Amino acid sequence: MVRAGVCGFVFCEILLTSFSDLGQLPVTLLRPTGAMKLLPWRLYDLLLTPGGMLGFKCLMVISLGAATLGCFTSLATKASALLFVFYEGVLRSFGHFNHDEMPAVYILVVLALAPCGDAFSLDNLRGKTRLRRSEILYGYPILLMRILLAWSYFSSALIKLRVAGLGYLSADNLPALAIEHSLDNLHDTQYKFAFSLPQISKYTPIFVGLALAWELLFPLAIFFRRARFIILTIGIGFHLATMFLMNIFFPYHIAMYVVFVDWGRFLAKVRSWADRRVRRPEPPSLIERLTPP
Amino acid sequence: MGLTQDPKTDNHTNARDRRYLARYLVLTIVLMVPLVFSFAFIRNLYPFAASTMMLRDRDRGSDYYILRGETLTGETIDLPPINLTDALSGRHWSLVSAAVENKSFQITSLHPENARLAAAHVGDDLPRAARLDELLRAWGLIYNSRLPEASPQRLRSVRLDAYRWKGEIAGDSGQFVESWRALL
Repeated sequence: MVRAGVCGFVFCEILLTSFSDLGQLPVTLLRPTGAMKLLPWRLYDLLLTPGGMLGFKCLMVISLGAATLGCFTSLATKASALLFVFYEGVLRSFGHFNHDEMPAVYILVVLALAPCGDAFSLDNLRGKTRLRRSEILYGYPILLMRILLAWSYFSSALIKLRVAGLGYLSADNLPALAIEHSLDNLHDTQYKFAFSLPQISKYTPIFVGLALAWELLFPLAIFFRRARFIILTIGIGFHLATMFLMNIFFPYHIAMYVVFVDWGRFLAKVRSWADRRVRRPEPPSLIERLTPP
Repeated sequence: MGLTQDPKTDNHTNARDRRYLARYLVLTIVLMVPLVFSFAFIRNLYPFAASTMMLRDRDRGSDYYILRGETLTGETIDLPPINLTDALSGRHWSLVSAAVENKSFQITSLHPENARLAAAHVGDDLPRAARLDELLRAWGLIYNSRLPEASPQRLRSVRLDAYRWKGEIAGDSGQFVESWRALL
């Protein structure tokens, strides 16, 4: 289920994105970052054309589609992870290094190396897989994926405190940060709520402090079911707030919350609910009630 | 679906399970160690992120940009680039800022065409925003490609206006600094 959810989300994102338009941008603006520096310019020259990017998109759609359905799962998840790592590297070579998609990158890598097509997959329906005895083989990748997502929030809070110190909680910080991201028309959204923040700036340290505390407590969601529900709900609210106030949205982070859902428990509940529905006798219809025996 | 019970395959299954466990150990080290280093040195080294969003230099203002287009009828329209290159979601502002500051000329291994341009300007300074014209033209062409040939809404030029914000939250939201224009 986690594989289907994660790969399905990335599949939709890729399917709905225009790669050929990206291929029209000048390759001379590219600044390969990190591991992307290892690749030759000739490869980028070939890829960053409308045709090259369209071909690349087709490859990604096929591999992510197969990974979502669990068809040739082992191969499809590995190809998807590799292609997505490369794609995100290309995007970061154009702009800055934001971390929205990075947990999805790591989670795809974990899925590529885990037996994630053994149950909920076409491979299973075709009888090409079998469940393994050791529960840790299925449990550990889930734990690792949760840790990776929690790390993104936890380390983000620690870095803010390390770099800005308690000054991060100053009354001007949130309004200034929000206004800075609301001035241009280069962000994905053009909300102007940031300009109202100076009027309530004396209260903003409370919001910023609560957000920092939430990020620092995010690791609790790994182990505690009740904390998980609260932390993830706040997370959705947090990301919506950054979208409206700062025009910065992290859809991949929200989508990756799928790794925190206990799918076994969820499916058991759905099954028991369905069983109850089947066993319960149908109430007599109005016609039956009105008709004498 | 039940678990495998065939005793003949037990040894094989155990060996395979052990291989998975070894794989998980390596995977954990390969992912977590560089992430911790990225965090420790606050350095992004793709594909390892240091989660440095939401930080800013509090004592400094910043330049910001508005992308506009001029239609064949002379009307000036806002041209948010997210509608043109949606793949770069969340990155257009840093792409434009990097193009203005010639950041693609400040890397160790230059693109051959950038290396040629840089070599042609040895001695004198490389012009500011040396590759910005190509970027603006590319966006203009993408916009025009979605309209019929005869549409008066087609663009004849794309303009990038730069403004400076002093960083004061209660003050002026920006002063015009300069502008670049690319004819299509």
